[in-house]
Amino acid sequence: MVPLKLIWRNLLRHKLRVLLTAGSLTVAFFLLCVLQALVVSLDQGVKNASKKRLVVQSAVSLFVNLPISYQGKIETVEGVDETMKMTWFGGYYREPANMFAQFAIDADRMETIYSNVELIEGSWDEFKNTRMSCLVGKETANKYGWSVGDRVPIVGMIYPRLDGSEWQFDIAGIYDAGAEASIDDLTMYFHWDYLEEAMEAGATTGADGIGVYSVLLSDGYSQAGVGAEIDSLFENGPQRVQSTPEGEFNAQFVSMVGNVPFFVGTIGMGVLIAILLATLNTMLMSGREQTRDVGVLKALGFDGSAAFWLLLSQSLILCGLGAGTGIFLALGIEGPLQAVLGSNFPGLQINREVLTPAIILAICVALFAGLAPALRARRLTVIEALREEV
Amino acid sequence: MQESQHGVELIRVSREYTRGGEGVKVFDDVDLSVKPGAFCAMMGPSGSGKSTLLNLVGGLDRPDSGDVIVGDTRLSELGESDLAEWRSENVGFVFQGFNLVPVLTAFENVELPLLLTGLSKAERKEHAMHALELVGMGDRAKHRPGQLSGGQEQRVAIARAIASDPGVILADEPTGDLDFESACQVLDLLGRLHTELGKTILMVTHDPRAAERAERVIHLDKGRINESPAAPDDGFREVKPKEGEGA
Repeated sequence: MVPLKLIWRNLLRHKLRVLLTAGSLTVAFFLLCVLQALVVSLDQGVKNASKKRLVVQSAVSLFVNLPISYQGKIETVEGVDETMKMTWFGGYYREPANMFAQFAIDADRMETIYSNVELIEGSWDEFKNTRMSCLVGKETANKYGWSVGDRVPIVGMIYPRLDGSEWQFDIAGIYDAGAEASIDDLTMYFHWDYLEEAMEAGATTGADGIGVYSVLLSDGYSQAGVGAEIDSLFENGPQRVQSTPEGEFNAQFVSMVGNVPFFVGTIGMGVLIAILLATLNTMLMSGREQTRDVGVLKALGFDGSAAFWLLLSQSLILCGLGAGTGIFLALGIEGPLQAVLGSNFPGLQINREVLTPAIILAICVALFAGLAPALRARRLTVIEALREEV
Repeated sequence: MQESQHGVELIRVSREYTRGGEGVKVFDDVDLSVKPGAFCAMMGPSGSGKSTLLNLVGGLDRPDSGDVIVGDTRLSELGESDLAEWRSENVGFVFQGFNLVPVLTAFENVELPLLLTGLSKAERKEHAMHALELVGMGDRAKHRPGQLSGGQEQRVAIARAIASDPGVILADEPTGDLDFESACQVLDLLGRLHTELGKTILMVTHDPRAAERAERVIHLDKGRINESPAAPDDGFREVKPKEGEGA
C-alpha cells in the first residue's frame, strides 16, 4: 500500500519531462487511432461481406463491360436466386470536387439483393416505380442537405449528356446501409433503364453493357460452387467472366490503392516503438531518481511490492493520461475526419475496433516502460538503495 | 509512548562481504548484549562495521552465521515480508543524510510509517503531529524537506522514527551532516527519547563528543568489540532551541 499522493508527486517531480512524455503519448495514440480507423474502414467491406452474394465481372478486366444478355443466362444456373445489373456511372454534383459513387442498377431488385439496407426516408415502391428516381446514402444526403423529393443534377463523366446538360434524378429514398457492410452510406443508386433509354435515344455516349452483375445465391449453395458453374457457362465466349465472392471483390478495391493496411501498419508500428522507447526512458530516469525513496520506504517497513507499485503506478498513470488524451482527441475529430476522408474511406469511425487495440497498446506501453524500474525497485535492498548515488 | 522492552543481543555473529572479488570479514563470532532502554554509542574507524552492526540489528542485513535477537524476536526466523512488518512495528531509523522523501511535507513524511499500522486517518494525524511537536517541528508540518534547514530535517527524521512508537531507535551518524548547534539539538532529542521515553538507542558516530551523550560506548575495530564507559560531557552541552524552532 503506497500513498497515492506519493505516487502522484513523484510522477510530477519533473513536470516538464512528464509533460513532454505525456504529449508524445498523446500525439502517438491520436495517430494510431486514426491510422487504425483507416485500416478498419478498408477492411470493413471485406470482412463483413455477404457469404450469399457473388460478383460476376469480365475475366479481362473490371473496366470491360459484360453483355446484357448474360443476366438471363446467369439466372439459369442452379443456386442463383436473383441477379442485379450494376454499372459504374462516374458523375459529380455541380463541381468535380463533389464526386461520389453512383451506380445504375435494376431498381426493382435492389431490395432483394441488399435485404439489410433500410430506407430511413422515402419508400421502395416510389423508387421502383419512378424512372428518374434514385436512392442516396444518408451521409451523402446529409453532406449536401438533400431530402426525399429533391431533384438532384449530376454531371456524367463516363456517360455525359451530348447536349451538355446535367442528368436529373429525383430522390425517392435515403438509405442506411446498416448491417450491409459491403456497401457504404455514400452512394447513389438509380434505374439502369433510365440510362439505357438515354443511350438508345442518343442523348449520351458511353460503353454498352453492364459493369458487373451482383448475384444472390439460394440457401444451401456455396459461392465457390455456383461461381465455378457461372464461369464455366461462359468459358467459350463471347466474353469470359470471373465470378468472385463479394468479400474478395471488395478486397480487390482495397488492393487497388496498394497494400494500405501494411503501409499504415508499418507507420503505426514505428510510432509505437518510438513512444515505447521515450516512455521507457522517462520511467528509467524516474526510477533512478526515486532509488533513495525506495530505500527509505523499505527501511520503514514497506515491502517490495509497495516499491514495485510505486514505480509501476506512475507508468500506468503517465500512459493513461497521455494515451487517454490522444484517444479522446481522436474521438473528437471523428466528425471532421469523416467529412474530409469519408468518400475514400467509407464508414470511417473511431469505434470499438479502433479503441480496444489502442487501450490494450496503452496498457502494454505502460507495463513495458514501468516493469523494468518497478522490478528493480522491488529487488533493491535497503542498503543498496540508500547507498546508491543518484 | 511506551518505555522500551527491547533489549538487543548478538550471539556469535559473523558477517563477511565481498569487495573487489575478495572476502572481507567484518565480524567474526561477535557477541553483544544491550539492555532494554539503554543508550549506546558505537564508535570506530571507517570500515570497522558500525553501520553493518546497525543494519543487522535493524533487520536490513542478515548475518552469515549467529543470531540477532531484538526483544523477543530472533530475526533469523523471519522471512523478508515478516521482517519488513517487524521493522515497521519495532525499529525507528535516523540516517546521517536525513533521507526524508523530498516530495512529501514534514507531516506526510512522519505519517509514512503510520500508514502500515492500520490507524485511522484522524489517529494518524494525531500521532504524526504529536511526534512533530515532540521534536519541536509542529509549526513546520506543511513544509517540504527542501524548505527546512539540515537540523530541522533531522528533527523531522527523528519524529518519523518515533511516530509509530518503536522500541528501538537506530541512528547512523545522526549529527554527521549538521553544524554544532543543530547537532546539539539532535543529541538533546535523542537523550530525551532515552531518558523520558525509555527508548533503546543505538547510535553510530565518529564524534567522541556525541558519544559522550550515551551511557555506554562500544568501540569496534577489525571485527572486535571493546567497551568503555561514557566520559563526562565536555563538548555537546544541552542547547536550548532557538525561538520558533521548539524543542
